Amino acid sequence: MNIFESITIALDAVRSQKLRSSLTLLSIGIGVFAIIASTSITNTLQQAVNGQLADLGENSILIQRTPTIVFGTNWAKMRRRKNITYDQALQFRDRMTNTKLITISNTSPGYTIKAGQESTNPTVSLIGIDDLYFTVNVTTIADGRPVTESEVALSRNVAILGTDIVNTLFNGEPCVGRTVTIRNQEFTVIGILEAKGGVIGESQDNRVLIPITVFNKYYTSEWDASVDISLKAESKFQLEATQDEAVGIMRSLRKVKPWEDNNFELDRNDALTGQFSGFSTALLVVAWISGLGALVAAGIGIMNMMLVSVKERTREIGVRKALGARKAWIVRQFLIESITLCQLGGLTGMIGGLSTSWAVTEILRYNNMPTIVYVLPWGTVIFSIVICTIIGIGFGLYPAWRAANLDPIEALRYE
Amino acid sequence: MNTNIIEIADLVKRYEMGHEEVFALRNVSLTLGKNEYVAIMGPSGSGKSTLMNMLGCLDTPTSGTYFFNGANVSEMDDDDLAAIRNKEIGFVFQTFNLLPRATALQNVELPLVYAGLKSEERRKRAIEAITRVGLADRMDHRPNELSGGQRQRVAIARALVTAPSIILADEPTGNLDSKTGQDIMRLFGDLWRGGNTVILVTHEEDVARHAHRIIRLRDGLIESDEINPNATSV
Repeated sequence: MNIFESITIALDAVRSQKLRSSLTLLSIGIGVFAIIASTSITNTLQQAVNGQLADLGENSILIQRTPTIVFGTNWAKMRRRKNITYDQALQFRDRMTNTKLITISNTSPGYTIKAGQESTNPTVSLIGIDDLYFTVNVTTIADGRPVTESEVALSRNVAILGTDIVNTLFNGEPCVGRTVTIRNQEFTVIGILEAKGGVIGESQDNRVLIPITVFNKYYTSEWDASVDISLKAESKFQLEATQDEAVGIMRSLRKVKPWEDNNFELDRNDALTGQFSGFSTALLVVAWISGLGALVAAGIGIMNMMLVSVKERTREIGVRKALGARKAWIVRQFLIESITLCQLGGLTGMIGGLSTSWAVTEILRYNNMPTIVYVLPWGTVIFSIVICTIIGIGFGLYPAWRAANLDPIEALRYE
Repeated sequence: MNTNIIEIADLVKRYEMGHEEVFALRNVSLTLGKNEYVAIMGPSGSGKSTLMNMLGCLDTPTSGTYFFNGANVSEMDDDDLAAIRNKEIGFVFQTFNLLPRATALQNVELPLVYAGLKSEERRKRAIEAITRVGLADRMDHRPNELSGGQRQRVAIARALVTAPSIILADEPTGNLDSKTGQDIMRLFGDLWRGGNTVILVTHEEDVARHAHRIIRLRDGLIESDEINPNATSV
């Protein structure tokens, strides 16, 4: 008896009990769906976020007054921290010896940019930068040029626009040399940023970059006067030493006592990646636990279904035994039947999970993450095939054993 | 070397029903030779069914010995019994017991599946057997597309297909009208003439009179074991 004949018999039995089979298949499908969809979506997002964070620049360190992502930290304590002033940042830059790739910036949200009759929504982020901004960060200029050292020193009214603003004010046409107005100050456009997309909802292209000295002159208030410092270590091997030096200099500039904690935040892009991966791990754990739970429940359903099937086919089993079927053969037939059931359910869940996660990826791509690429979770696909087989065997074994040990005389007499 | 297929000596089968002991067979000794045509008769409760289960190797005795072609059946385990049923015994049941989802041909093939034959060989032998019972034109039909008589013919083909030592038929005409029953009895007669050993288990004299030897049971004992000189040839 070869295995294909057993599978045919199993499929036949499934076909003859459509409703009961499909309900059991559904519960297995749900379990596999949860596992596949969650893994696929988090893998895809993880990869996309890794890509976005990589834009911050490799081997780079970000120093801020408060952290970028706050996970249950005491916010009140953070708020009492003193600003990192522009002067402090300049002193820091002068004292650093491990690297000279240091850029100082500050961001303020909610500006309206005007050009002639056109104006943007009041949602534009205004960012004050210096001449090393484009060297340290991976942001690139599509058209025009970056800000020069002298423009920063002399506080020139020049601006680099994000593509969202170019689209709104100039219909996407080249606009280097044109003039825009930000709160009554006129700026000459010197460059256009390359389009970047956004991390979940927030566009990275809805911003305007101006020299930080101009920013400090017109656009800071007391509460957002704290600047950010980005550093780029000269190599991966210099990263630790650069970080240590940066911490030392910041502590001394901000007069932190030896026994006190840092009163500033220092992040590396690999640490930010790590924070996201912690979050996605939590998501995965929840989805996998519920998925596996559903599979165990489905397994009990399979066992119940197989027991009913054995009961209903008592006479058939009796006939098979009378015609000379050995116990092992009966066990095998029922095991293959329950495995086939599990695999059919798993297949529906797999198709559902893969297509759902693919659809989610497509929706994200069209809305705000143009660079997202669907990640097919091969490992999880194989895992779910294996787990369906294990469930088929695990929960099919007892019904199969019951069938194999039926007394042929009783079984033949069964009505 | 004798030609006895079945040698039974002092066979006892006892069941425990709660605290009560029930003797289905008290002490039965019997030999059956090759190419005999035997009817086992008796009213219900006579031990007729139990004896048939023993002869069919579906059950083992409480005590006594049972040799089938020289092999000691009384000491076999389940899988050995399954093997001997597969190879040596062709069953024909009152209710036909065909697998409803399989075609006539697939039903006939089933014992060969358990015998481990390759599929071309199985098909060839199953077609031979189904042709022998006169149903070659219906072999792709499922049991519910066949009449009662045709179903019983399929069952007989299934019993024949392994070329067993005995064909054991339990009330083979019990679910058939008398004309169809006659046809089936004629088929058994043909099989016997073709060299097969046929054992009929029945309570109908009409059926038993076809056999050449009639064994009557009562209360778990053999009441009579006689040659039937007037065997009806149909």
